[in-house]
Amino acid sequence: MWNGTVAFGEVIFPVKLYSIVQERRVRFREVHLADGGKIVHRRFGSESGVEIPSERIRKAYEISEGNQVVLDDEEIAAARGPNTKVIGIEHFVPADQIDPLFYDRPYVLGAQAGGEHAYRVLHAALEKTKAVGIGRFMLRTREQLVALGAHDQALRLYTMRFADQLVSSSDLDIPKLSRKPTERELDMAERLVDSLAQTWEPERFEDRHRQAVMALIEQKAAGEELRVPERHEPEETPDLIAALEASLAGRPRRRQPAPSAGKGPLSKPTKSKSKASAR
Amino acid sequence: MPAGIWNGTLSFGLVAVPVRMVSATRDLDVRFNQVDADTGERIQIRRFCEAEDQEVAWEDIGRGYDLDGQLVTLTDEELDAAAPERTHTIEIEEFVNLDEIDPAQFDHPYYLVPSSESEGTTRAYRLLRDAMASTNQAAIGRVVLRSNEYLVAVREHNQLLALTTMLFDDELRSSEDIGAVPTGSTGEPKRGEVTQAVKLIDAMSRDFDPGSYEDHYRERLLELVENKRKSKRGKKLPAVEEPEQEEDEATPDLMAALKASLERARRDQ
Repeated sequence: MWNGTVAFGEVIFPVKLYSIVQERRVRFREVHLADGGKIVHRRFGSESGVEIPSERIRKAYEISEGNQVVLDDEEIAAARGPNTKVIGIEHFVPADQIDPLFYDRPYVLGAQAGGEHAYRVLHAALEKTKAVGIGRFMLRTREQLVALGAHDQALRLYTMRFADQLVSSSDLDIPKLSRKPTERELDMAERLVDSLAQTWEPERFEDRHRQAVMALIEQKAAGEELRVPERHEPEETPDLIAALEASLAGRPRRRQPAPSAGKGPLSKPTKSKSKASAR
Repeated sequence: MPAGIWNGTLSFGLVAVPVRMVSATRDLDVRFNQVDADTGERIQIRRFCEAEDQEVAWEDIGRGYDLDGQLVTLTDEELDAAAPERTHTIEIEEFVNLDEIDPAQFDHPYYLVPSSESEGTTRAYRLLRDAMASTNQAAIGRVVLRSNEYLVAVREHNQLLALTTMLFDDELRSSEDIGAVPTGSTGEPKRGEVTQAVKLIDAMSRDFDPGSYEDHYRERLLELVENKRKSKRGKKLPAVEEPEQEEDEATPDLMAALKASLERARRDQ
């Protein structure tokens, strides 16, 4: 999907970028319920109500209410900066210092002819140092901050979120949490966590919903009436201790050995060290 | 304060915690409105049915799916029937060690916030948060958002319950599927080269300081707006110079380049 080079220090090598994600969700399009007609979007002046031909449409930035700056596509393209085909690594950081919240979209780098050797040297060194290279490059129309690390045999690249794009807990309106749980409550809750502990096997989770949606589509196609489910209001637990006891009843304590799979550094996000203390 | 996108119950055994889901990210991208170049008037999008060329109200629009040539239409309410219980409950199915999950599987991050100040809600919230923090476990469950089911992982983060939607395993391509990843004897590195590259990485290493990275694209767009406003819509901005054509060739002498880079990195530190 993208061809370019990776540059770290004076070493450069040609690569290809591949998206890892291939979404399999059921895709719908907008239709008119009355006759099944396809919906098209048309553009009108919001005040004049006159339809505006597409060649007259521009982008505008609203500085304040009623005060805007209209921009040409060429001007916006110019602001993107030079379209360099280089992923330039500026420095390296320890992989376990990056919380997964910073990772946006994952990609895999492939080597292009002639680049295999440098690719593997960088891969081996990243694996050894458990480091991640931080750099920037232009992906489609936007300069992206990226993290480049080793994952299995491949170089894995994530586009990254900027720190100011992450919401902090102080931005949220959080109700005051009541007193600390008692030791008994915490002990029972931990036992409940332990009783449900498993080794992570992602392939065990199938998208049953995708299948259920397809079944609905087929039912509807066969002319069947679909039942609309009722909405429920969320309810809290009236008696916490009783609920913990009832949940634990019949569950054997089952401690899993903590597996430390030998994956690449990017597969090992840091666990936040913030102690769960009283707010 | 970001708006809640989902209200429901996180359930853990027989313990139920009413929660609100809010996005953990904020959109800081520079957003443009579409306007008419001639009048500056804001554009409004209207939906028309192609069949009779008539404008259609939002509530008369449904979802269409092409099933082998037959168009099947469903309403959002009918779609909820695919998973009625999971549209308002996240049931924790199991707990796993967070470090075992490949972050490529993470889709979008959210926070779960207690949805009321009542004692019952905040106590159960805090108990689950503390129990996960002390055991270093993440809870795995599912939720239906906007008529799609997501696998989710919930963990303690920043003294809150953080939730991330996850892709299903079959939505991630493995490196083997992609090919192009050199393995075996192709380009096999020599030990001296790796040692030299490790030295270079060490010399170019620092702590991760997320606040130190600025979004150049956002800055340039805002600068463009500011310049254009000052120039009173008169002057054009200078075009960006196109970069010189780079060559898609690998460094010919890897060891020499590594050594030269290391020298430079050490000088620059």
